[in-house]
Amino acid sequence: MVFGPGLIVMEADNDAGAVSTYMQAGGQYGLHLLWTLIVLLPICYFVQEMVARLGIATGKGHAAMIYERFGKWWGRFSLFDLLVVNFLTLITEFAAISLALSAMGVNPWISVPVSAFGLTLIVVTGSYLRWERIVIALCLIDLTWFALAYLVHPDWAAVGRSTIAPTIPAGGITSSLVFLVIAIVGTTIAPWQLFFQQSCVAEKRLRFSDLKWARLDTLIGATFTVVVAGAMMLVGNYGYQRGITFEDPAQLAIALAPMAGHLVRDGVLLLMVNAAVLGTTAISLASAWAYGEVRGWPHSLHKKLWEAPGFYATYIACVGAAAAFVLIPHVPLQLVIISVQVFAGLILPSAIIFLQLLLNDHELLGERWVNRPWNNVINWTIIVVLFALSLLLAAQVMLPNLFA
Amino acid sequence: MATMQNPYASEYLRVIHPLDDEPEQKCSTEGLAHIAMTPAVRISLGVLRGYLIVMSAMLLYHVLDLAGIVHQLR
Repeated sequence: MVFGPGLIVMEADNDAGAVSTYMQAGGQYGLHLLWTLIVLLPICYFVQEMVARLGIATGKGHAAMIYERFGKWWGRFSLFDLLVVNFLTLITEFAAISLALSAMGVNPWISVPVSAFGLTLIVVTGSYLRWERIVIALCLIDLTWFALAYLVHPDWAAVGRSTIAPTIPAGGITSSLVFLVIAIVGTTIAPWQLFFQQSCVAEKRLRFSDLKWARLDTLIGATFTVVVAGAMMLVGNYGYQRGITFEDPAQLAIALAPMAGHLVRDGVLLLMVNAAVLGTTAISLASAWAYGEVRGWPHSLHKKLWEAPGFYATYIACVGAAAAFVLIPHVPLQLVIISVQVFAGLILPSAIIFLQLLLNDHELLGERWVNRPWNNVINWTIIVVLFALSLLLAAQVMLPNLFA
Repeated sequence: MATMQNPYASEYLRVIHPLDDEPEQKCSTEGLAHIAMTPAVRISLGVLRGYLIVMSAMLLYHVLDLAGIVHQLR
């Protein structure tokens, strides 16, 4: 049995931005948006299953496949967009580390460089397996979200009802509700995930016979991720029930301390750091793998630092530059967050279209690996929905007056 | 008394991690041209181009708006 890439890609997707979005969903609308996670579970699975299948069939990453099958223009466009959106997302991850540890009394000038150094150390050991084991351990730390959800004593019957039956919040369907739902979709299916899992599968050299295990790994990862996301919403819901308004999870954690105890406060803050660390290592690796594949450099965690200098330099540059950016005084974080949404709106639909077309490439994959007709029906439906939502979210960010 | 022979006695299972296994022949792009332009591929890439043009136009508008140029033009 092989296990790892599916769980890692899914759980790393619960990064700092996701923690913020899910807790905001709970904080603004209580339990009303829990049902979105049940809808997102099969979507996550079907998209990532295609990625795992393509990775096993070709033994190559997504960026390399786009280059080789669609030509340089589309290849460069995808790579450039991926690198930009990943870098901007990394800035938000380090901002979350800085914010959470500042709330615990750690100076950002200590927390950010130490995190960046630790994140570099875990990849430069020359062993994929060592990196994978460390990251799976970090993923399992997210089990703590269940303990936190239990500690805030939600009404479990209401949780069950809201999970299976969508309900409309008291204020009705407003534009902010619609965009929060879109933000949840956007945070659950991020563009870097497609590139990351395919490269990770290739890196682990999964064999044709491993496909069933890769599918199980992806299913377990998707299920674990949405359940953890549900636990985050429950913690946010605790703030909603007590009328606490907050802009980020650190604010909520501090406000919760007098009511739910210091354990919950410190738990939320440390889990926020863990989420950011997981997101940073996965996103930076997605960039380094993609860039290395396209440049034709050695790009493997199996190699020592001096055997794949370009690959490791890309990873270290991503981590180091994002960390340094966060330490700039008065950094325009809001602009960074908006840019992430805009660039994600460009890259996600294109990456997913290429994925779907590659999975229908009979010349490359033969009959064994291509999508079945039922696969195509499901996947085209998902693609159309994601296109529409990405366009809507980008329009809301860039033309806010349209929705006023 | 007859002794039952276990047909599997001499067999054993060895689990080989993918990283330690022999590399297998993957589906390769070697010798292949770019993807065949079937109607599905042509339509998909056309829709993607249209989508990117709309997004770029929105981005341009947003930048001009932030710079105050849209306000001046009105």
